[in-house]
Amino acid sequence: MHDDTTAEEIAVLRARDFWGALVLLALSAFFMWRTFDIPLWGANRAGVSTAAWYNSAALVPLGIFSALMLLSLVLLSIAIKAGGAKRALSSVGIGWDRAEALRFTTIGVILFFYVAGLVPRVDFIACSGLLITALIFGHHKGQPQRMILAAIAVALCGSYAMIRHLPQSQWGAADDDVVTLVIWAALTIWVLIQARGDRVLRIIPVLAIAAPLILVCAMAFGFRQNVPNRGGVIFSQIQYHYYVTLRPLWSS
Amino acid sequence: MEFVLTQIMGFGGTFWALAIDPLTYIYLISSVFLGITFGALPGLTATLAVTILTGFFGNKIPLDYSLIALLGAYVGAIYGGSYPSILLNIPGTAASAATAMDGYPLAKSGRGGEALGLTTTASFIGTLIGTIALLVFVWVLLLLSKNIASPEKALLAMFGILLSGTLMSEDLVVKGWIAGLIGLAMAMAGLDPLLSEPRYTFGWSYMLSGFQVVPVLMGAFAVPQIIEGLRHLEIGKMADLNGRILPNLKTVRRYMPTIARSGVIGTGVGALPGVGEDVAGWVSYGVGKTVSKEGHKFGKGSLEGLLSSETANNACIGGALIPLLVLGIPGSPPAAALMGAFKINNIIPGPTIDPAIILRVVAIMVMASFTMFIMGLFTARVFMAILRIPQTVFLPIVMVLTTIGSFSVGGGINDLYLMLGVGFVAYFMNMLKFPIAPLVIGVILGGLFDETFRRSLLISGGDVFVFGSRPVAGILLMLNIALVMSQFPVIKRAFSRLRRKVL
Repeated sequence: MHDDTTAEEIAVLRARDFWGALVLLALSAFFMWRTFDIPLWGANRAGVSTAAWYNSAALVPLGIFSALMLLSLVLLSIAIKAGGAKRALSSVGIGWDRAEALRFTTIGVILFFYVAGLVPRVDFIACSGLLITALIFGHHKGQPQRMILAAIAVALCGSYAMIRHLPQSQWGAADDDVVTLVIWAALTIWVLIQARGDRVLRIIPVLAIAAPLILVCAMAFGFRQNVPNRGGVIFSQIQYHYYVTLRPLWSS
Repeated sequence: MEFVLTQIMGFGGTFWALAIDPLTYIYLISSVFLGITFGALPGLTATLAVTILTGFFGNKIPLDYSLIALLGAYVGAIYGGSYPSILLNIPGTAASAATAMDGYPLAKSGRGGEALGLTTTASFIGTLIGTIALLVFVWVLLLLSKNIASPEKALLAMFGILLSGTLMSEDLVVKGWIAGLIGLAMAMAGLDPLLSEPRYTFGWSYMLSGFQVVPVLMGAFAVPQIIEGLRHLEIGKMADLNGRILPNLKTVRRYMPTIARSGVIGTGVGALPGVGEDVAGWVSYGVGKTVSKEGHKFGKGSLEGLLSSETANNACIGGALIPLLVLGIPGSPPAAALMGAFKINNIIPGPTIDPAIILRVVAIMVMASFTMFIMGLFTARVFMAILRIPQTVFLPIVMVLTTIGSFSVGGGINDLYLMLGVGFVAYFMNMLKFPIAPLVIGVILGGLFDETFRRSLLISGGDVFVFGSRPVAGILLMLNIALVMSQFPVIKRAFSRLRRKVL
């Protein structure tokens, strides 16, 4: 039985390897083509003759992408010999798992909107609190409805921030902070309603507030490092009171 | 004799300077505690512990304290992996996978306390063996490395990537090599090191400085771990911790030959470029099973089996630091993260490294191993309580830690985009059973390889035989060729035929 499972797993892996090798082939071909933009046989730049082939900046990349192409072909041939090509076109063949795909997609959506949409534009404590709430609530019990709801909450805030304030010059705006805070509060209330009998859900609000608050304050005031979005609605207040109210207490 | 005395004096002076500084203990205790916690929580790894702390402490505090924090976490995390292995039958880190084979049966039979106590002692002695080897061999190799020039460095970097790809691959070796090549390819982005020719920047000014090490490390090790770990899992029933944890000296003395042998094996495996603690644990376990009189008991609750893997994985730490400090080639994935910390502090490990740094590393390792030993024996129950925290609770916090750590290293928001991109790629690579360690080693060594390879050709006027013209270069070239050839089916078959004939 164990051997059967292993054989099935290897068959699925070879079907995936088939697609993986094709992607690697395409990528190595693309980058090889881009490498030819770099002078290989010496060139004349602004009247200055650049180096010979053996010192060209293209030499090592050409070797790397050629080797990558060769190894991708080896992987492709191994996958085809093991029957990977035959299985590669069916969902069963590549081991498609709907529940796993949903899990990955919702986490992927949450992480994408958090990093690309929220962190640059929204107060770090607010967006990290929302992230912690969404990830724990969505994935603690592995319920698909919760995963989708959590992903929608983060995607809503992230897409609002990205659409309304795409260019860097607008990242300081505060309306996306407010939207994030409102959605975070709404999600937290929903989590607490669902939390009856579940200790983990009950501690989510504490973790969601305490963890980013401690981290960002330690980084900004302890290590004196740059932190994302210093102008965010919560952090700007903390920063103001740290420098104006608290710091004079010990610095004077 | 004079050399040994100088070494001992240098080490003693450095150790004393650190020991009288109260801040040392604050960083040491907190980092070892954090390391053991990271190791004990299944889903967090030693590499992740060092990577995250690199983001936090890498360039924000003086180098000495930063090294204490990172090495303390490294030592603690490798040891901490033994807790879930023994009590839950789930390895906390890959390095402790072999520990679960005998640790859990021991705990189930009511000897959990004894197993934990001996594991703590073995990890402590193992770390010390690795550290002593580091103190001795690093100087011998540093003397030898004065003869290492560009061709040797290029071949060594290539050997590190190939070896890591070969030994760290779970599935096909070709996948390990592909991962190494992807890492090398990533290192090619940005201005080239000799002519400052922009490569693969796609008009994005951020890319001119190439892929930054810390976001790549965070992306490669943290993001896939977070995605993979965020799933509903029932924590298995924890084995009861019966018996005292403080080890019996008679038992320790009885198993001393096993501990010594495993320590030497662990150090040796660690010294191989790019090969981590997990390989050290398994190799030592395999050797122990073959040579031990109680080999037939391995896997059924053998103390010797437990000690074989646990001593080796901690001894591997000292071993892994040897190539890092002497050659600038990380000996294991956490050592690669440590290399990232060196880089952001503008320290270039290799033949030109300040000898004082090596002595400080050794002194810190000794202090960290003592701290780990004391914490392991007297606070084991605290770590057992930590084991009960579900992954779904701590991984989102790790994501926030990773984000702020990566952001503050220097590149700002662009570093976060890079981290996320690398993270998604690494997740799919994990899914397809491509090892991640060779990719990271490739990113770290790519610049060195490119520069030294082309410099060798430049000096020789384009003569490719420069890579075989000197004795060390010739040996390294042969090793590289042999490593590649050993994976050819024809040669594999010939070897197995030969082995059958001999045996």
